[in-house]
Amino acid sequence: MNSDEQLGTLKESLLGLDMESAVEAARSLADGGGQAAVQDAVSAVSEALGVVGKRFQDGEWFLTELVYAGEIAKEVMGLLTPLLEAGAAEAAGTVVVGTVAGDLHDLGKNIFVSYARGAGFKVVDLGVDVPVDRFVDAARESSALALGMSCLLTSTEGEIGKVIAELERQGLRESVKVIVGGAALTEQFARHVGADAFAPDAITGLDTVKKWSAS
Amino acid sequence: MDFKERILTAMEHQEPDRVPVMGLVMDPATSNQVLGKQPADIGGLLNDPSMRGQVKDIINLSWNDIMYSNFADALEASIKLGFDANWTVYTSMEVVEDPQCKTGLAWHDAFGRLWEMTTDDKGNMLLNYICGLLTTEDKWEAWVENKRPSFDMMIQNVAGYHRKLVDNYGDRIYPIGYAAPGIFENSWQPIGFVNFSRFVYQKPNFVERVIAFHTDLYLRYLDAVMQSGVEVVMGGDDLGQKTGPMMRPELIEKLLGESYRRVSETVHKKGRKLVWHSCGNIYSLLEKFVEWGFDGIITMEPTAGMELGRVREQVGHKLVLVGNLDVSYLLVRGSREEVEAAVKKAIRDAARGGGYILSASHSHSSVDPKRLEWMVDAAHRYGKYPISI
Ligand code: B12
Repeated sequence: MNSDEQLGTLKESLLGLDMESAVEAARSLADGGGQAAVQDAVSAVSEALGVVGKRFQDGEWFLTELVYAGEIAKEVMGLLTPLLEAGAAEAAGTVVVGTVAGDLHDLGKNIFVSYARGAGFKVVDLGVDVPVDRFVDAARESSALALGMSCLLTSTEGEIGKVIAELERQGLRESVKVIVGGAALTEQFARHVGADAFAPDAITGLDTVKKWSAS
Repeated sequence: MDFKERILTAMEHQEPDRVPVMGLVMDPATSNQVLGKQPADIGGLLNDPSMRGQVKDIINLSWNDIMYSNFADALEASIKLGFDANWTVYTSMEVVEDPQCKTGLAWHDAFGRLWEMTTDDKGNMLLNYICGLLTTEDKWEAWVENKRPSFDMMIQNVAGYHRKLVDNYGDRIYPIGYAAPGIFENSWQPIGFVNFSRFVYQKPNFVERVIAFHTDLYLRYLDAVMQSGVEVVMGGDDLGQKTGPMMRPELIEKLLGESYRRVSETVHKKGRKLVWHSCGNIYSLLEKFVEWGFDGIITMEPTAGMELGRVREQVGHKLVLVGNLDVSYLLVRGSREEVEAAVKKAIRDAARGGGYILSASHSHSSVDPKRLEWMVDAAHRYGKYPISI
């Protein structure tokens, strides 16, 4: 199989939810070629994840499929990333992500994390129940391009405003874009607390962060 | 009509004297506020290293009493608020030492979930599911093998618990026993959703075995709940999330359809009715609910786009609808006018011809009892049959 065919197999396997075959295709691509082949494989994963995301947004695919495709991408990237030249990985920028204090829901946040990684972002995942200071410290320390907060509970949505206020207080607000998502939130709420964007789903959120990265 | 006749008439898709109102009270934060009680400072005691061991042992020994008094308070509060019915839930827990948890203690439920306890700013206790303990097939197998005696004990406790609540409160309110968590949740939560999703594709036989195990256990659980003698029983599984079902509907049918049919059969064989809870956006599952034999659904989460009118339009009177006042804003800090308007809209959208019980869309510790009072009051004022609004 030539490398184009292998790239095709990699994409198809990911879209066909066949982990074994995706990993195998990635391995032969990595074995057979140099830096360019690895880069191509990474792009193929990213493109395939784009298709998965579109299918999810359009209601053709469901959570288990979205999650499992993310898991396949994670395995494949685990193989490819160490082979990339320093600096080539995670070139898209750093995104700090977490679920706000008092909230322990993490399924949605985790999906965003795995797709953002798949798209080439460096992700600092702070987990759940994250207090204001940890969000702000992580954004500062990692010179983050964006800060993502997940919030599914009404009782904890006040946390988002607090994080934004603290970013402002520390003079970081100009350099960090803020995106929020989760069941309790709406576009209107996001605007009201001064976030830059609301993500109705992880893939739309990723599209927004990609736009920020490109501009 | 009394509260029981009201509920049972609505369950038959007939019009009672007025729209029945059901409470979903369970959080101590709500009950304590309604009853003017001070929370027991269990959090404080557990945070004190000199007390922790002793308190842990006491909790484990008296867990059934703690559960009972929690829901006794919930029922008492519901009576005070004027509800016709309230749900009652039993959760089986064991507190164990776990240095990785914040308080140094973890709460393990019988099914293999790890929970942690927190307290709100007033000291009310909250237990939250954190993660699954059974992340591999081996761990799962070992757990269910070791826990057989605990499952038997749990079933016994469930039966006694619901019966006692009915004995002590059944003359003043209709306590609807809720068999929770359901088969899907007991299958994925102890394993974790990411692992579960992986296993669906990589180890389908294992997933089927897990679901079969939890189906059998759930049927026993339901049977125990029904020993309370109450004619209506609740079951449930969160099958939806904000934008749609948690899994492809065909996959839900394949993995769980037969289990849910058996659930309905078990309930119907005893001459009872089954009301099913599911969060999330579940329009695409409504016909399935009918097909599986559910008699009613509760929740219809507004934050996930569920509207009573649209549900009624889609399924007609094939399902009794119980819901769905918003707990994200309306019942937390909505104005009296807003609560009233929402009650009127719900009644207008779903109450004609019976088959409707008004309730909040979910339990939530931030729900304000004052708003619940307004909800009940508006239901009494605008919910008289024949509906004229
Ligand atoms: C599963 C679930 C749980 C599980 C969580 C398991 C876990 N590890 O996450 C359990 C059972 C533990 C749970 C507990 C509770 N829950 Co809950 N839960 C849900 C449910 C059914 C689905 C949530 C979910 O996982 N969806 C799947 C994921 C993939 O979707 P998602 O989180 O929305 O994420 C997507 C997008 O929103 C977006 N996104 C999310 N975050 C982010 C972040 C960024 C940066 C970006 C870009 C995008 C993004 O991308 C994701 C993928 O597209 C929702 C119902 C709902 N409508 O969502 C209720 C829901 C969120 N829960 C609710 C409640 C009330 C609770 C409890 C308080 C119940 C109780 N009384 O104890 C506790 C709270 C515990 C706590 N302190 O956090 C309410 C919240 C109501 C409100 N407005 O406050 C909901 C809405 C249910 C309802 N009927 O009202 N819950």
